[in-house]
Amino acid sequence: MSEAEFGKPEIVEIETDILLIGGGMASCGAAYEAKRWAPEGMKVILVDKAAMDRSGAVAQGLSAINTYLGDNTPDDYCRMVAADLMGITRDDLVYDVGRHVDGTVQLFEEWGLPIWKTEDTQGVPLSEGGKPVRSGKWQIMINGESYKPIVAEAAKKALGIDNIYERVFIVKLILDANEENRIAGAIGFSVRENKIYIFKCKSMLLCCGGAVNIFRPRSIGEGQGRAWYPVWNAGSTYSMAAEVGAELTMMENRFVPARFKDGYGPVGAWFLLFKSKATNGFGEDYMTKNADMLKDFAPYDTAIVVPTCLRNHAMLKEMKDGRGPIYMDTPTAMKKLAETMTPKEVKHLEAEAWEDFLDMCIGQAGVWAGLNIRPEESRSELMPTEPYLLGSHSGCCGIWVSGPDDLGAPDDWNWGYNRMTTVNGLFTAGDGVGASGHKFSSGSHTEGRIAGKNMVKFAQDHADHKPALKADIDELVAEIYKPVANYLEHKDKTTAEDINPEYILPRMLQMRLQKLMDEYVAGVSTYYNTNKVMLEEGLHLLEMVKEDAQKMRAKDLHELLRAWENYHRVITAEAHLRHILFREETRYPGFFYRTDFPELNDADWKCFVNSKINPETGEWKVFKRPHKDLVEKHYG
Amino acid sequence: MPTFVHTEKCDGCKGGDVTVCMYICPHDLMALDTERMKAYNQEPDQCWECMSCVKACPQQAIEVRSYADFVPMGGAVIPLRTDEAIMWTIKFRDGELKRFKFPVRTTPVGSIDPYGGKPEAGDINSQLLFTEVGQDMPTIS
Ligand SMILES: Cc1cc2nc3c(=O)[nH]c(=O)nc-3n(C[C@H](O)[C@H](O)[C@H](O)COP(=O)(O)OP(=O)(O)OC[C@H]3O[C@@H](n4cnc5c(N)ncnc54)[C@H](O)[C@@H]3O)c2cc1C
Ligand code: SF4
Ligand code: SF4
Repeated sequence: MSEAEFGKPEIVEIETDILLIGGGMASCGAAYEAKRWAPEGMKVILVDKAAMDRSGAVAQGLSAINTYLGDNTPDDYCRMVAADLMGITRDDLVYDVGRHVDGTVQLFEEWGLPIWKTEDTQGVPLSEGGKPVRSGKWQIMINGESYKPIVAEAAKKALGIDNIYERVFIVKLILDANEENRIAGAIGFSVRENKIYIFKCKSMLLCCGGAVNIFRPRSIGEGQGRAWYPVWNAGSTYSMAAEVGAELTMMENRFVPARFKDGYGPVGAWFLLFKSKATNGFGEDYMTKNADMLKDFAPYDTAIVVPTCLRNHAMLKEMKDGRGPIYMDTPTAMKKLAETMTPKEVKHLEAEAWEDFLDMCIGQAGVWAGLNIRPEESRSELMPTEPYLLGSHSGCCGIWVSGPDDLGAPDDWNWGYNRMTTVNGLFTAGDGVGASGHKFSSGSHTEGRIAGKNMVKFAQDHADHKPALKADIDELVAEIYKPVANYLEHKDKTTAEDINPEYILPRMLQMRLQKLMDEYVAGVSTYYNTNKVMLEEGLHLLEMVKEDAQKMRAKDLHELLRAWENYHRVITAEAHLRHILFREETRYPGFFYRTDFPELNDADWKCFVNSKINPETGEWKVFKRPHKDLVEKHYG
Repeated sequence: MPTFVHTEKCDGCKGGDVTVCMYICPHDLMALDTERMKAYNQEPDQCWECMSCVKACPQQAIEVRSYADFVPMGGAVIPLRTDEAIMWTIKFRDGELKRFKFPVRTTPVGSIDPYGGKPEAGDINSQLLFTEVGQDMPTIS
């Protein structure tokens, strides 16, 4: 395309009743459910930055479905989730996922997802009494290479291919011109064609996954794409919601998974299925050894499954004291299992160990192959990763939403439509919903279904509403294409176009963000430590990054995508930083430490930390909301 | 672990508008050099090694070479996927080969009938999803 054309995108306007942003697990669930409830003529449109068959966190597949209740009760599920997240979760939201999730998993099986069954119920579907093979109390094993294409097929068929826009990156949500605090639409651009899309809608689902690559990764150079969570989810969910004034919750929470070093391959099956032990460099079991230290974080230290952050805390103690490396002792585990198994069974087990990587973290298999690591012969190193922000896996940052009204929740936990944010008509699910982690793939899809149904209700209840965008379209278009304009205007002023005093490459802006988050906001280089002074210094630097984000360049549509992804990262990072600054305690040791407040302080801080941007002024407000247990909790 | 494309195997998807690898990569990494009609990874250090493109390429032209910053040379992980199963070949640095085959799907691709035999939508004001019609939803005891 010529320069003149590149500068002037075509503008496409689309009006719909319901708009689903993102095509991942949650949105696929919403599509499936919404379309069934939508009356004749109600339009549902989905837009995804990638191709639904392989978009989002499940692109590689998964080797387990981590939330399937079976014989467990939703009350127990609430207890497990609360324990892992150090007591502060929304029981109404968690319970709601728990009571609906099994039916969703049964749909996956019906659609074609292979789910492992016990010896005596081979071939019997879950819905007819088939017993899943469990790798833990909540997890079931699958052959999940095609998990995402299967789930996407159902969603695509439900919506109809004409209602799906792939390769369109949504940049901003737009409020209503006539009604305060009401969503009216969204704007984005095609990554393939020189086109800007403007969607108008009555209700909207925002499900763009979690936030990756906000912190400097441990990898360097070529390996930087090797994040544990999907490198392409850039915090779009949190940043776009925040910018229209939706209330966020628990944005201080993060997830720092301890995984096989460098490849970030999953360890769950090794711990749960193969009963493997992790040790320090000298063969000591660091959990037993540091049990006393964990007592500082009572009562959570005695939970049936010790919270993930506390396990990290014990591991980090060994690393900081110079007793690394940390190992997963796979040979001993395999040997033990071989004592009670036939050689054929052991061979099968070995295949399962590899499948665990090949179905969801193929890179780890590459690391083992390159290092000649055979789990039956050599131990493998473990390492805590750089931090990720997410609301569906073992973390709980996200958006504050209305919950179900039949579970006895306090008044400020529900305001009409289940999974609606504090902005009228704007819904979320999956990684988007805060204070309710451990939904995983199945729970995210389920939560999308809950939201989907309620969005139809909202659109029906507001059938006469005509969305009107509170924005000057020309200004918005110019803003979205600003990086292109920056490039075209300045590129010829230097002899090498990548180094130019007038603009910054999206890639370099990302590195600046990552470096400051790492150094001031408890990244890997400070062993996840920070304090008030560091955070304030970090905020000062972050504000300049935000200003310079206006000066990113884009020499093509691919770079324009990177520019806006990084803008979303910056806003998400700011939310994270401000929340950490506000919460004056160490709630999640092992994920991060406020060294000026090193203790857990239930008396002052067993509450939600929420925040909100004033969409008129851009000002942040961070505040507390009271926590309440709806399910009686006991830890241990 | 960035992808690379074997020059002699890639046919640029025979000049179609969008190549298969461009279509599928979740991170918009695969690009087509229209002069040579060959695909390449335009931003190797952003590759998640998800192998979506590797599995989808009709010519099996794409492979992955482990990240140079932490993996010694010589290993390889190569998938061969059909609509029913996937076969993996793992090649160790020391030359040993392992092969694994796993099912991927129990129904034919394209056969999902999302609402076939499913209940109609019921009461929109209840807590029930449409497939749960007639069930009792538990509440916190
Ligand atoms: C390595 C790994 C292992 C995991 N292991 C398990 C497991 O064993 N069991 C389990 O049950 N779960 C597991 N999970 C978790 C599970 O994948 C997530 O909980 C789930 O996918 C979250 O769903 P979501 O819809 O919120 O986000 P995603 O599924 O990530 O979907 C996000 C969607 O948003 C789109 N998008 C992003 N930004 C934009 C934008 N600006 N505009 C338009 N579209 C956009 C993306 O393309 C994508 O389609 C794992 C995840 C990973 C990465
Ligand atoms: S899909 Fe394969 S054949 Fe087609 S352009 Fe990409 S690498 Fe070449
Ligand atoms: S392996 Fe995945 S991330 Fe890398 S180029 Fe292929 S599809 Fe894209």
